[in-house]
Amino acid sequence: MLQKPRSRGRPNSQAERERDWGHGAAEEAPSTSRGAGSSQEARSSSSQGSRRAEASPEVGPRSQQQLELKVAELVQFLLIKDQKKIPIKRTDILKHVIGDYKDIFPDLLKLAAERLEYVFGYKLVELEPKSNTYILINTLEPVEEDAEVRGDQGTPTTGLLMIVLGLIFMKGNTIKETEVWDFLRRLGVYPTKKHLVFGDPKKLITEEFVRQRYLEYRRIPHTDPVDYELQWGPRANLETSKMKVLKFVAKVHNQDPKDWPAQYCEALADEEARARPETSGPAPSS
Amino acid sequence: MEEGRAERRRRTEAPSHTQGGPRRAGVMTDVHRRFLQLLMTHGVLEEWDVRRLQKHCYRVHDRTAAVEELEDFINNINSVLESLYIEIKKGATEDDGRPVYALVNLATTSVSKMASDFAENELDLFRKALELIIDSETGFASSTNILNLVDQLKGKKMRKKEAEQVLQKFVQNKWLIEKEGEFTLHSRAILEMEQYIRETYPDAVKICNICHSLLIQGQSCETCGIRMHLPCVAKYFQSNSEPRCPHCNDYWPHEIPEVFDPEKEREAGTSRATKRSLRSRQH
Repeated sequence: MLQKPRSRGRPNSQAERERDWGHGAAEEAPSTSRGAGSSQEARSSSSQGSRRAEASPEVGPRSQQQLELKVAELVQFLLIKDQKKIPIKRTDILKHVIGDYKDIFPDLLKLAAERLEYVFGYKLVELEPKSNTYILINTLEPVEEDAEVRGDQGTPTTGLLMIVLGLIFMKGNTIKETEVWDFLRRLGVYPTKKHLVFGDPKKLITEEFVRQRYLEYRRIPHTDPVDYELQWGPRANLETSKMKVLKFVAKVHNQDPKDWPAQYCEALADEEARARPETSGPAPSS
Repeated sequence: MEEGRAERRRRTEAPSHTQGGPRRAGVMTDVHRRFLQLLMTHGVLEEWDVRRLQKHCYRVHDRTAAVEELEDFINNINSVLESLYIEIKKGATEDDGRPVYALVNLATTSVSKMASDFAENELDLFRKALELIIDSETGFASSTNILNLVDQLKGKKMRKKEAEQVLQKFVQNKWLIEKEGEFTLHSRAILEMEQYIRETYPDAVKICNICHSLLIQGQSCETCGIRMHLPCVAKYFQSNSEPRCPHCNDYWPHEIPEVFDPEKEREAGTSRATKRSLRSRQH
């Protein structure tokens, strides 16, 4: 009775499951395994990648089940990694999940992307062409009432992000950091003061959002005191659009997007560019 | 009982190995996708909230459609999730039998979902706590006993003060429950890790005589030693004035809890926290 749930799932033994994800930690079976009986090898500490007790065949026939399981692992990996909003590197995928199946990596990724979209409504996209990093985009539009049924806070920081993205766009797609703070000060958000909701706004804007690729933060040369410029990052372009942000700004001002003709034109042009047929999904560039 | 059912279903259904694409059963629509997305934001969710979530998803995507019966709705999604080796599993809280749901892994071992949120030494601390809990008679491990193992942890050295905070992190993230300085497994951990626990600790593990699922907290017969979950006791002995052990027929010596009634609870408007603390721990 006990063993049955396993038989359907495990082409290789438990040792295969011992891989570290996340921060390269997680030894998945406990060191004091009480006669768990499954395999022995590679129970001691982690070296990543190809640490298989019984190697799956290097090349050559792999069972349907093995492939299915590999795709399942990949889907899970992508979901968990994307939760942190850090773009997922191809090298990490290869190291932590693909391992010996490297030869069919493109197929596995394609299958995983299909499942992600069909089952969860997430689209796997490459952050920038040839960047070999990926993010998940939600194909479902977030709805206000989602917040009432979520388990996490969503991201309360999204509001701040939208404001900054709006600022940048309205000011011609680039803005100086000093201008950002001049504006935010009026909303009670300061670079040096701890904020109830956002915590450390300076860190959030210049580090967190940058790391998540929503913003680009570059030093302006020859400025004294040093100033930086902020622009939209690749993730912002993928997850939202100029038109959406303009609508947000308009809503905040209780006006119509057309009240800003220059920005409206630009947003329209952007919409048209997006509507043109795109190249197909997450095919890894190589 | 509910916990057995999901497990039984998993065992008897042979997966069909068609490559990619939707399975023969189950079709995903945006209603299902939004449901899954939002369900994933919860580690574990009580049934009443799951129904609320389901209704929300219908409202967003398909106002006119009749809301499908929850069980069928979930089975439908699970038939699609099968090929991904995950499922929406139903269980019950061990103290008062509230039905709960979690999205769990079927293929990989337990710790993987935790693995991305915690460091190596933190995960090892959890493992140590888990072992103490499983070995204990009551299903609870004292803070002191857990903290005394801090020196044996793998990875970066952890001080006791730090470990106390890590334990609180586990509580916040619904892996452990704390009661009066002692820790037991949250229903989330039981749902996600049952398989792993049964495989890893086959000798120490306790099983409920009624539902045959993993048992951490429960009541036991003082004569023959069989154990039952509190909600299983409640159901089994419901309106029985002379409860007797199902195994050895001796008098059942413990207080019989009430069967969980969602209707009664909502009417009473009792806060869940209060109710939980009223339950005494029995073993």
